[in-house]
Amino acid sequence: MSLSVQQLLESKGIQAKPEHLEILESRWNGMKKLRGTLESVKIEDADIGLRNIPGGDHIG
Amino acid sequence: MAKDLIQKSVEELAPLLESGSLSPVELTKAVLDHAEETQDTINAYMTIYREEAEHAAREAEKEIKNGNYRGMYHGIPMALKDNLYFKGKVTTMSSKIHKDFIPEDDATVVSKLRDAGVIFTGKLSMHEYAWGITNNNPHYGPVRNPWDTDKIPGGSSGGSGAAVAVGSSVASLGTDTAGSIRIPSSICGIVGLKPTHGRVSKYGCYPLAWSLDHIGPMTKTIKDAAGMMDIISGYDAKDPTSVDTPVGQHLERIKGDVNGLVIGVNEEYFFNEVDNDVDQVVRGTIKALTDQGARVEVVKIPTLKYAEWAELVTSLSEASTIHHEDMLKRPQDFGDDIRMLFELGELPSAVDYLQAQQVRRQLKQEFHEVFQKVDVLIAPTLPVVASKIGEDTVDLNGKQVDLIDNIIRFTGPSNLTGNPALSVPGGFKGDLPVGVQIIGPAFSEDLLLDVGYAIEQTNPMKNRKPALLTRA
Repeated sequence: MSLSVQQLLESKGIQAKPEHLEILESRWNGMKKLRGTLESVKIEDADIGLRNIPGGDHIG
Repeated sequence: MAKDLIQKSVEELAPLLESGSLSPVELTKAVLDHAEETQDTINAYMTIYREEAEHAAREAEKEIKNGNYRGMYHGIPMALKDNLYFKGKVTTMSSKIHKDFIPEDDATVVSKLRDAGVIFTGKLSMHEYAWGITNNNPHYGPVRNPWDTDKIPGGSSGGSGAAVAVGSSVASLGTDTAGSIRIPSSICGIVGLKPTHGRVSKYGCYPLAWSLDHIGPMTKTIKDAAGMMDIISGYDAKDPTSVDTPVGQHLERIKGDVNGLVIGVNEEYFFNEVDNDVDQVVRGTIKALTDQGARVEVVKIPTLKYAEWAELVTSLSEASTIHHEDMLKRPQDFGDDIRMLFELGELPSAVDYLQAQQVRRQLKQEFHEVFQKVDVLIAPTLPVVASKIGEDTVDLNGKQVDLIDNIIRFTGPSNLTGNPALSVPGGFKGDLPVGVQIIGPAFSEDLLLDVGYAIEQTNPMKNRKPALLTRA
């Protein structure tokens, strides 16, 4: 089952403006196109490099 | 005399102020008068601080007379983008929701400029919450381009771009998440530097997207930008993304010598789908540098083909997180354009966001490898020139294309990687300025400014200035 943009937004409590829905669908599809062939690129094990620093970002 | 003053750069004004042949009081009055005169036409300012600025100018005059000259920016009148906090002063982000917001602290960049003797003349308009590139603000009206008032000044730092170009602020600061310093700088014909992520503290700047946001100078000349970088750069424990690494002397380094410089050119991404005249300007600039002893190497950066997607997913997701609560409670108080972007930003999944970060990691690695072979990359700042106010599309070689999608194509990648990127005026398409972008390795702002200076020395603008600046 795939949810529409409207359903997705409603599930998060966001009331999209009705006149935005068509444009949102089109922009969301545009973004999927930009994603292109990413699935075929080997990025699965690429560490995103997010640092988990106990005690905070700037110690000492 | 007053009209002469507002045309001058910081590097021209500083020796006059230091020697006492020009008073900060006279200069500040000229800038404030011009800001008021051009406000109806350009609409660059959100608020003008006349009284405080005149008081600060008198204080600066006394200090300089007493031999306590603090440096290049002492006595320089300047307004800043309205997402930078001034303690006790309304800071709106050019929004309705924050129209009465009063910060409890100065932004670090504001404190540093204040300590350097800058005289603050007010706050400048911006695209609402910095989430757009037109500066066509639904709450405070559009900012207009001084080169053609029917055209956008670019954004989101459009007030800063227009004010510097028209002379109603001698220099300014902008913020840049996908190009918001470089876009208005290119469109308004000024210099704009997005520093390395972590080089300039973001403390006291209202965020758009934490991991992509940067603060940097927007100025008339390269030396003005270098002088400002000397003031605002450096580690700040109040900003968790600040990087503790030595800061060079930007102004001192500027010589404009590009002999032996290796320029990287990436044809597949940075010269794909570019306005023919813009393309010509940028290639002409590269030629001018090779004539001075630089050489060109063609480089490949394969992951750039996913950069637009990763930039969009990252910026949309982070921005929508910041504004999520207001989107639940009072979405009607956002301008229509950014409300739609906040709706769009609710759509990517956690996997989308994290894959975008993986792309980002890969792209950083490829940029790093490229900078083992070349000193800088040179590209157009934008593939197009300024569009008409109110239009969602722009002409690209006779075809109408989506404005937002196209205008951030070449600026977004260095927000993703965090590399520094400079836009320097390179010439014109008709009467509209065209910017040339120089991208460098991390923390190479001094090198970028030096290359920018070499370009500036070729006088690509042919001394042309907006009529609103030169008209007596």
